[in-house]
Amino acid sequence: MSAAPPAPVVQMTGISIAFPGVKALDDVGFRLFPGEVHALMGENGAGKSTLIKALTGVYQIDSGRIEVEGREVRLDGPSQAQAAGISTVYQEVNLCANLTVAENVMLGHEVRHGPFIDWRATRRKAAEYLHRLHLDVDPRSMLSSHTIAVQQLCAIARALVVDAKVLVLDEPTSSLDNAEVAELFRVVRSLKDDGVAVLFVSHFLDQIYEISDRITVLRNGRLVGEHMIADLPRRDLIAAMIGKSGDALAGIEEKARSTITIHSDREEPFLTAVGLGKNGSVQPFDVDLYAGEILGVAGLLGSGRTELARLLSGADRPDTGDVRVQSALTRLTSPLAALSRGIAYSTEDRKKEGIVGDLTVRENIALAMQARRGTWRPIPRRQLDDVVARYITALQISPPNPNALIRNLSGGNQQKVLLARWLATAPRLLILDEPTRGIDVGAKAEIQKLVTELAQDGMSVVFISSELEEVLRLSQRLVVMRDRQKVDELVNTDDVTTATILETIAESGARA
Amino acid sequence: MSTDEMVRAERPAATVVHRARRALSGFDRRFLPVLGTILTLMIMLGVGQERYSTERVDFISMKLLSNLLVDNSYLLVLAVGMTFVILTGGIDLSVGAVVALVGLSIAEMFSAGLPIVVVLPVAVLIGTTCGLLIGVMVQVFDIQPFIASLAVMFLARGLANVISVNSLKIDDDGFSALAAWSLKFGEGRELWRINASIVVALSVLLIAFLVLHYTRFGRSVYGLGAGDGGAAVNLMGLRPARTRVWVYVISGTCAGIAGVLFALYTKSGFNLTGIGMELDAIAAVVIGGTLLSGGVGFVLGTGAGVLVYGLIQVLIAREGLDSWWTRVFIGVVLLAFVVLQRVLAVRRR
Repeated sequence: MSAAPPAPVVQMTGISIAFPGVKALDDVGFRLFPGEVHALMGENGAGKSTLIKALTGVYQIDSGRIEVEGREVRLDGPSQAQAAGISTVYQEVNLCANLTVAENVMLGHEVRHGPFIDWRATRRKAAEYLHRLHLDVDPRSMLSSHTIAVQQLCAIARALVVDAKVLVLDEPTSSLDNAEVAELFRVVRSLKDDGVAVLFVSHFLDQIYEISDRITVLRNGRLVGEHMIADLPRRDLIAAMIGKSGDALAGIEEKARSTITIHSDREEPFLTAVGLGKNGSVQPFDVDLYAGEILGVAGLLGSGRTELARLLSGADRPDTGDVRVQSALTRLTSPLAALSRGIAYSTEDRKKEGIVGDLTVRENIALAMQARRGTWRPIPRRQLDDVVARYITALQISPPNPNALIRNLSGGNQQKVLLARWLATAPRLLILDEPTRGIDVGAKAEIQKLVTELAQDGMSVVFISSELEEVLRLSQRLVVMRDRQKVDELVNTDDVTTATILETIAESGARA
Repeated sequence: MSTDEMVRAERPAATVVHRARRALSGFDRRFLPVLGTILTLMIMLGVGQERYSTERVDFISMKLLSNLLVDNSYLLVLAVGMTFVILTGGIDLSVGAVVALVGLSIAEMFSAGLPIVVVLPVAVLIGTTCGLLIGVMVQVFDIQPFIASLAVMFLARGLANVISVNSLKIDDDGFSALAAWSLKFGEGRELWRINASIVVALSVLLIAFLVLHYTRFGRSVYGLGAGDGGAAVNLMGLRPARTRVWVYVISGTCAGIAGVLFALYTKSGFNLTGIGMELDAIAAVVIGGTLLSGGVGFVLGTGAGVLVYGLIQVLIAREGLDSWWTRVFIGVVLLAFVVLQRVLAVRRR
C-alpha cells in the first residue's frame, strides 16, 4: 500500500463475546481501511469466525464498540450489517440454491413498480452486475447449476448491488481450484481499486501473501498484533498464530522417525486380518497390526481407506475373511464388539459421526467408556471427573471446562475430545481416520505428537490421512490403497518419500 | 482396444443428450413437476371426453369447469394458503379443524342476531388468529410446524365441539342470498354459472400468484424454502422471522375464507366438518408440483392440482364406482408425483 489511508472504514474496539463455557473474544480491536485487503489470521478457535460474525451481525457483542465510517453502529442482525454497508461471502455459499442467478443477486433489492417486481428490469440489472465481474452466466439459470466458484462470484455481485463499503470473504477459496482462485483474486483486486475494504480469511498462506496488504493475527480470542504484510514473513506469522516458534513443529518429525523400529522377527501381532473384504466396499486384503507400531494408510480420497478402517473396527460387517485378535479367531459384528476387544475407531466425519454437539465435553468423553461398561452400570461421578480432568490436561483441551458444550469448541479441540473418548476406553488398537482434517497447524502438531507417544507406550495405531507427508512422518509401515483395494505395503524407511507413494498408486493403476 | 471403440460410438449419443439438456436448461427446470400436473390433467380430461361424451354434450365443457370450481372452491383456497406454508418447508395441519370452527361460529353468530357484515369478517379473522398462533409458536418458540399446527388443530376442533356437537343450520337471508347468487351463462344443457365461491376462490388464487411471484415478500417465502431453517435468507440480510410468521397467518386466513365458502356450500356448520381436509389440501399442493421439502413450486400449479383432485372425483362418480375409490386414485396419483419429485431431485444432484 502507498500512503496511509485517512480513516478506517471499520473500527472495532474492545470487542468481547462469550459463549457458555467459552470466552470466544476477549477485548479484541480490529480496523479496516478502504481500498485494502486485510487478512485475519489465527488457528482454529482463535476467534476469527466469531469476530467476523460480530462484524456481520450474526453474533451480538457483549461489550465493545463497532464504528463504521466513524459512526457507532449496533449490529443486531445481518440485515443491519448490510444496511451499514458490510457484505459477506461465506465459505459454504449462503445463497438460495432453489432460485435463479438473477433472483439471488437481486433478492431483497428487486426493481419495483409500486409493490410489484419488474422482472425484466431486475434481470437486466442483475446482468449488469454480473457483467461488471466479467461473469458470463445466464441470469435466468438456476444457481445450483453452477460451480461453487461462480456461486461465490454471484454472492460478490450481491455485495455490488448494495454498494458495499466492506466485503468480508470467509474462507472463499477452500473449494476452488487454482484458476478459480485467480479469477476470484482478479475480482477482489478490482473491488479494492474501487475503494472497497476487503476482509479476507483463508487457511492458505500462499493466498494470504498473494492478495493481502495487512494482517491481523488472533490467538485464543485475543489480539496478537496488526502488521503490514511486508513486515511479517511467514515464519513470524506462524509463530504469532501458534504462540511458539516454528521449530516446535519440526521437532515432531525427528521424534516420529526415531521411533521407527522395524519388527523383523516380531512378536505376535495384536490383530491379523486375512482376506478381509466386503462387496462394493473394499476388496479382500491381508494386514497385520503390531503393538507399538503406527500403520499409515495412504491413498486418494475414495480409495477404500475408510472402508478398510470400518471393517477392522466392526462398523461394517465383512463378506469374506477372518480377523484374529491376539491369535484368537474373532467376529467383529459391531463397533461395541470391537471395543470390548480393545479396538477403538475414530471416524473421519467429526461432525456427523463423531461429536454429539448438544452434549458437554464430559459427556462426550464418557460415551465410549459407558458403552463398554454397559448401560446399567453408570460410571461413578468421581471416577468420571478424574478421567475427564486427566484427558483435558493431557491433551490440553481448550477451554479446559468439562461442562462446555462441545459444539462451541473449535475443530481441533473437538478432535482432541474425540481422542480422549477413545483413549478413556484404554484401547489396544486405535484406528484414526483423518484425525487432523480441517485442523490448524498447532493442533495438528499436538495430535501427531500424541499419536507418536501412544505408539511408544505400546498401543497399536492405524493412521489414515489424505496428507501423504503426515502419513509418512508418523508411520512405520504404510498400506497403499487404490480403487478400493490394498495395492502395496511398504516399510517406511528413509528412502520412502511422497513421490514413492504416489508412484506406487500410479503404477498399480497402470498394472490393473 | 474395444473400449476405445465403445467410447467413440457413445460420443455422438452423448452430445445429443448434452444438446437436449442444454435446450432444456433454457427452459426452467422448476416447471417440470407442474408440467406433470398439466399432463395428468389433460390425460384425465381426454379419458373423460372419450368415455362420457354423448352426441349432444361434450364432457369437456365450461359446465364441467364451473362444477369443479363450485365443488372445490373451499379446497382451492385452503390449498393456496397451504402452498405458502409448504414453500417455506413448513406444514399446517390445523386448516380442516379451522374450517369446522369457522362454520359453527358463523351459525352461532347469525343465531345471535349479528349482521352479515360483522359475521363474515369475524369468521375470517378466526382463521387468521389460528394462523398467527401457529406462526408465533413456530418462529418465536422454535416449535416444529407439525407440532405447532397439530396443537392448533386440536384447539380449533375442541372449540368447535364446545360451540355445538350438533349440526347447526345457518339461517340468515343475506347469507342465503349470497349462497344463491350466481351469474348464468349459456342455455339448456350448456348452462354454466359463476357463483360467489368461484369469484372468491379465483381472486385468492390471483392475489396469491401476484404476491408470490411479484413481491419481495414472495421472494423471501421461496428463500426460506432454500433450507437450513432460512439461514441463507437471514445471512443475505432479509427478514426471515417476519416472513415465517406471515405465511402461517396467510394459511390461517385462507382457512377462515375456506370456512366461509364451505358454510356457503353446505349452509350449515358441523363439528365433524373437514376431518382430513388439511390432508386433501396438502395432497392438492403436492400434486400441483410443489416440493414438500420447500423452495420449489407454483401457486398456479396448486390450482391445477385442485382440478386434478376434483376431476378424480368426477370420473369416479361417472364410472359409477363407490366413492371410496376416489381415495385410492388420489393415493396413486400422489404416490406417482412424490416419486416424480424424488427422481427430479436426484437428477438435479
